[in-house]
Amino acid sequence: MTWGVFLTAFLSSARRTLQSRGQLAVRVLFYGVILGVLSALWKVATAVNGGVIAGYNFRSMLWYLVASEASVIAINPRLIEYIGLDIGSGGIAVEMLRPVSVVGLRIATALGEALVRFTCALTLGVLFASFTVGLPPDLAAAAFALPAAVLAIAANLAAQHSFAAIAFWVNDSKAAWFLYQKLVFLVGGMLLPLELFPPVLAHVSRLLPFWTMSYIPARLLSGHFEPWLLLPQVGWLLVLMAGAAFIFGLGQRRLEVVGG
Amino acid sequence: MTAIVTTMKTALIEAWTNRKSFWLQVSFMIANDLAIVIFWMLFFREVGTVRGWDTGHVLVLFGVLANVTGISMGLLANARRLGQMIADGELDAVLALPVDPLLYLLVRRVDTALLGDLVFGPVVFIASGHANLETAAVFVIVSLCAAAFFASFLVVLGSVTLFLGGRGEQAELGFQALLMLASYPIDLFGGLIKLLLFTAIPAAFVTGLPTRLLTQFDWGESAIFLAGSLGSVLLARVVFRAGLAHYRSGALWTRA
Amino acid sequence: MLAIEAKELSKSFQTRGRKRRVRTVEAVRDVSFSVEEGERLAYIGPNGAGKSTSIKMLTGILHPTAGHANVLGFVPWKQRMSLARHIGTLFGQRSQLWAELPPRDGFQLLAAIYRIDGEEARRRIDELSDVLDAEDLFDTPVRNLSLGQRMRCELAASMLHRPKVLFLDEPTIGLDLVAKQNFRSMIVRLNETQGTTIFLTSHDVADIEQVARRVIVINHGIVIFDDKVSRLRRSLLATKLIEVRFDSPPAALVFDGVQVVKQSGTGYKLVVDTERRSIREVLDELLDHHRVADISVADPPLEDVIAKIYRERL
Repeated sequence: MTWGVFLTAFLSSARRTLQSRGQLAVRVLFYGVILGVLSALWKVATAVNGGVIAGYNFRSMLWYLVASEASVIAINPRLIEYIGLDIGSGGIAVEMLRPVSVVGLRIATALGEALVRFTCALTLGVLFASFTVGLPPDLAAAAFALPAAVLAIAANLAAQHSFAAIAFWVNDSKAAWFLYQKLVFLVGGMLLPLELFPPVLAHVSRLLPFWTMSYIPARLLSGHFEPWLLLPQVGWLLVLMAGAAFIFGLGQRRLEVVGG
Repeated sequence: MTAIVTTMKTALIEAWTNRKSFWLQVSFMIANDLAIVIFWMLFFREVGTVRGWDTGHVLVLFGVLANVTGISMGLLANARRLGQMIADGELDAVLALPVDPLLYLLVRRVDTALLGDLVFGPVVFIASGHANLETAAVFVIVSLCAAAFFASFLVVLGSVTLFLGGRGEQAELGFQALLMLASYPIDLFGGLIKLLLFTAIPAAFVTGLPTRLLTQFDWGESAIFLAGSLGSVLLARVVFRAGLAHYRSGALWTRA
Repeated sequence: MLAIEAKELSKSFQTRGRKRRVRTVEAVRDVSFSVEEGERLAYIGPNGAGKSTSIKMLTGILHPTAGHANVLGFVPWKQRMSLARHIGTLFGQRSQLWAELPPRDGFQLLAAIYRIDGEEARRRIDELSDVLDAEDLFDTPVRNLSLGQRMRCELAASMLHRPKVLFLDEPTIGLDLVAKQNFRSMIVRLNETQGTTIFLTSHDVADIEQVARRVIVINHGIVIFDDKVSRLRRSLLATKLIEVRFDSPPAALVFDGVQVVKQSGTGYKLVVDTERRSIREVLDELLDHHRVADISVADPPLEDVIAKIYRERL
């Protein structure tokens, strides 16, 4: 059945990612550097503020960043560009001939790659944070962070495919990528927890899908036992998946009419 | 020299041929830069001053950084691609011309998206509140020197490909690391890391010292900074020239 | 006068193979030859024979591991910039023009690089557009040109500074038949009108026959043949390949000067010795006496020519 195809795509892409060790190491190492820099930043910042900023002390902030950065860095940074290129060059037309959902297969493949990267990055992050500040503040909450991170990555991939599908209509998806990336960085809570935002911005951020992609797993890992946060994640994931499938469907029909 | 200027002009004209995409990319890059500034504004709003750094101070840093990336990655777009160009044998066409290959290569291509940084840089600097006639002059000079330093760093990293082969991955990693470290206040770091920032990943010469010179000018530090950027340019030239004797023109890869 | 002189030129590369073992590959070994001014030389060999490596040493792009070379009085890798003013290069798969701009703009820039003043540059561009029959092409953005049209513009770019020697590395690669023919006649015309020495690498037998007067064959980095094309033609290129498919199997297919080298079903591969039988006669005979479904004629592949060179030597 179809699910078997998706699973095969997922596994083979995971294997490929594991095999290109050099690339994997570079990505994970880069994550380490980011973590090191942000750790230095927040150590100083919390110290000058009596140890706590908006409810986060240095320990919970570091664990927050371990998850928020790992969930985002797991995804190939040029994914949108690549999808755009495949659409622009007409390469996607070949995939449309197969009796499987194009977008489904692509997301399964991307997920295989991303989860391998995520696992490696997270391992480094956990080691780094444990040595620097000790174990996560709340282990029960941390246990929920793991499925939350998988949901976050899946939602992010689905959204990226919707964004990239713009390439069916406009031939430059690089610009769309810049905008998308910055939305995740900022209102997705990758750089700063939403609690540090001014109230209005925090409120708006919670209405957008981006907070499910970085903030939620990070919030859980930083020691806040709020398992109900998984609900908006599942909801947004379904919406984004349906959205991606819908936009790809429209794009494909356009491709069929206009030609590659 | 005329040849180099004409080459640069041609590269700019080429970038300009696709005007719609040009403006789109420039404006997205500015939006991109803006997001980072918003991050720091939110950060300092909540955190207050950290080791003497506030929003204005960070804006000075980003003004310099935007100029640096605008020049060394926008105007000199090939600097970042040098390692890959060497691996692909793309130096052939350049070496067949009677021009200084390094200089020609650097000005041969413009990356439109990053030209937005050159608009953003001065604007952020003015917004920082540290701008006056004197600092404006310093701003221009340090930006040019820091850009020269950054481009030289990229050239040295790319030239490693001439000696060791590979596809220039080391250049990409070094570039990412330097760019990231250069985008944080240098005073956050102490001891060993700070030493690293003056040597192996020399972020100090990209934004650290320039920002210091713009907020509290010091002749001694200017001398160190100028010497560093001049030295980097010389080093880049020497390393690239020495590497040319080892250039292999992608022969063994295209052969497959 | 000598335009090019190579003496025991060698180049080896270090490669890291599987398991990171360092291996030395000798791309070119002790290559020696000389080329007179005004000659049209084809420097041929199969893929990976060391053609490109040789041409790149002669233009100063690569530094040799051992040996000497002299091109127009310069040592290429030591006086690369000075030499570059007097030679032209054209590498089949690398563009020297700007993709988004019309070739004319690229020419103007090259004129600045070669220090040709504006008036003179315009005159030469017009002249080249006449010779290369490229009037409309020069004002179309390069990306909108076909490969054949682009190569004509690339050729113009290489000729702008009136080089004494033109080095062409696989210039016809990827071109269709008509474009190839066109391109070859342009090169011959440049040689005849401007006296440019032509040094051309290729692995296409037709390039040799139609462009060159002299040919050097290189294989595994060693020169194995160096003589007039006419001699090569007489002794080595005196065959054509015919592939033919019949409607029904022919009773017998025996005639003088033709050898059946392969047969499967109704398909035959024939080698014609053109010294003994003209290709026309053979074709007439086939078409007159048999029910032919499909037929094609081709030059022998370069590999066969090289195998023959080895055989004749031994």
